[in-house]
Amino acid sequence: MTSTTSELKVSAFLAYKSIAKGNKGTTLLTILIMALAFVNLMFMSSLFTGMIDASENQVIETLYSNIVIEPKDDETYIMNPDSILKKVDSVPGVLGTSAQYVTASTITYEEKSGAWAVRSANPDDEIMVSSVHEMMIAGDYLSKYDRGEIIIGKEVAGGHGGSLEHLSLGGVVVGDTVEVAFKNGVKREYRVKGIFDTNFIQSNQLAYITEKEMESVLGTSDMASQILVKTKGKGGEDKYVEQFIMLGVHEDVKTWSVYAGIIAMITQSFDAINTLISVIGFFVAGITTFIVIYVSTVSKRRQMGILRAIGIKESIIVRSYVFQAIFYALCGCVSGLIVMFAILVPYYTTHPLIFPMGDVTLVIEQKNTITRGLGLISAAMIAGFIPSWRAVRETILDAIWGD
Amino acid sequence: MMERDGQDTIIATRNLSRTYIMGTMQVPALKRVTLNIRRAEFAAIMGKSGSGKSTLLHQLGLLDTPTEGEITIDGVEISGLSESERTRFRLEKFGYVFQEYAILPELTALENVYLPAMALGLSRDECARSGMDALEKVGLAERADHRPREMSGGEQQRVAIARALINEPKILFADEPTANLDNASSKQILELFRALNRDTGQTILMVTHELEDADTVDRVIWLADGEVVAREG
Repeated sequence: MTSTTSELKVSAFLAYKSIAKGNKGTTLLTILIMALAFVNLMFMSSLFTGMIDASENQVIETLYSNIVIEPKDDETYIMNPDSILKKVDSVPGVLGTSAQYVTASTITYEEKSGAWAVRSANPDDEIMVSSVHEMMIAGDYLSKYDRGEIIIGKEVAGGHGGSLEHLSLGGVVVGDTVEVAFKNGVKREYRVKGIFDTNFIQSNQLAYITEKEMESVLGTSDMASQILVKTKGKGGEDKYVEQFIMLGVHEDVKTWSVYAGIIAMITQSFDAINTLISVIGFFVAGITTFIVIYVSTVSKRRQMGILRAIGIKESIIVRSYVFQAIFYALCGCVSGLIVMFAILVPYYTTHPLIFPMGDVTLVIEQKNTITRGLGLISAAMIAGFIPSWRAVRETILDAIWGD
Repeated sequence: MMERDGQDTIIATRNLSRTYIMGTMQVPALKRVTLNIRRAEFAAIMGKSGSGKSTLLHQLGLLDTPTEGEITIDGVEISGLSESERTRFRLEKFGYVFQEYAILPELTALENVYLPAMALGLSRDECARSGMDALEKVGLAERADHRPREMSGGEQQRVAIARALINEPKILFADEPTANLDNASSKQILELFRALNRDTGQTILMVTHELEDADTVDRVIWLADGEVVAREG
């Protein structure tokens, strides 16, 4: 056996005995505090990840789906979108496509008016790429042959407790008539068929009419402002984009993330807050370990002196305390994970937190868990090392017989 | 009695001094002590309180560093050793018995005994075997699985002796090993030391203030005010 191995064995032996035969109450309390520190670290990062995840899902589910095909820079519309839809639909993993017109408009109801985007939708296609049809809070979603009818988001309608209530139409209800002035100068009156609430402020500022209605307004046919593409899962969109281009789609193809500038801003802010909270959490865990190990080294000062006197190397003694600190941190991580997975995640899945970007649940990422676990263990190791290292700096005689 | 040099000398000191600094004062605890201890000798250091006997033992046991002078142990000049070499030296060549029952409360008697053997790199089986042998030598084999709080003071001190013997040390240092024990236990410990010395040739250097202990040892080194004043035996 190498000397390092045997030294590690002695350190581990001393650490094990100290924990197993030491004060159980102290051990449990230390683990509890470490578990709380870990839960604190995990909860905040999971909450922020959940908020980002919810925001991303909202962008995908209610605004842009996974992939957006737009006209080339110098063109207003995609010509002959059906040929593109055919190519895109042939790619395995594509779950749905929807060609839309998008135009700016001013919507007026009684004395109130505001500027909002109006999208057209072929309802049969739209429900394959968007979840808006599942989020009607009043009235109904559009039908394929609807003419003269419009559905609007709650931030447009007003009266539903939106964040932009002061900019809304002030309380339009289903059945009311609104006037829409399109960008091309056409003005039409529409009966409000439904009001939707996606829990996402951006998509709640949209209005939808049917494709045929929009074509009659714009005087176009067989064109589209954009094509939304729904793919299987989130995160692998780039490979679909490559395939579309290989199949001869020459339009501008972008993934949802290009449109998610607000999420990038949120992520940046959350990262800063998360880092700050994590640092505080690591300090709490570190200081807890430091106090526990410090008290232990003070109470075992004489014992440490005797161990050194009989020839046990200082490094063996210091390592035994570091091992104890690692044990506390590991137990704290495991206990914390049990609390997260057995209590908090299930609770917030059934009782999500309501945020402007949607319903937020806790999302635990493996990378985050590993980073925070390793961070906690590192903090504990440092906190275990410092007091024990200081303790063995003392002379043997002072340790055994000093005041 | 003349000091005898040569191959049978295991400890030799020359002009060994230890001065403690207390604030602005220098307090000499040992003054130019020169002595030899022979292999297989059972020697006692005696003297009044404050005479420097424990200080001398600490220098010889490498628990402290002298201010001046030389110590040669088993042919090795100690002043040339680094701190880690001194630690290794203590582990391999020395056994210690302290006045207090200096054993670890979390460990059983057997675990306390074999800890220095573990540090030497012996396997768990070898440690357990050697530990049991050492416990048998001190008559505590049947108490191997007991923890210190389940043992009397005399038994704990015998566990400490077994621990001191586990690595077959060249020298066993004992610092007033019977000071905290009742008469019966003290007698038992001294008889144990005597038997170890007689049966195995174990070199033992013991600090004691009990005059009757002088009858048990081969030689007494008397200290007064940090100086050797007499060598009897």
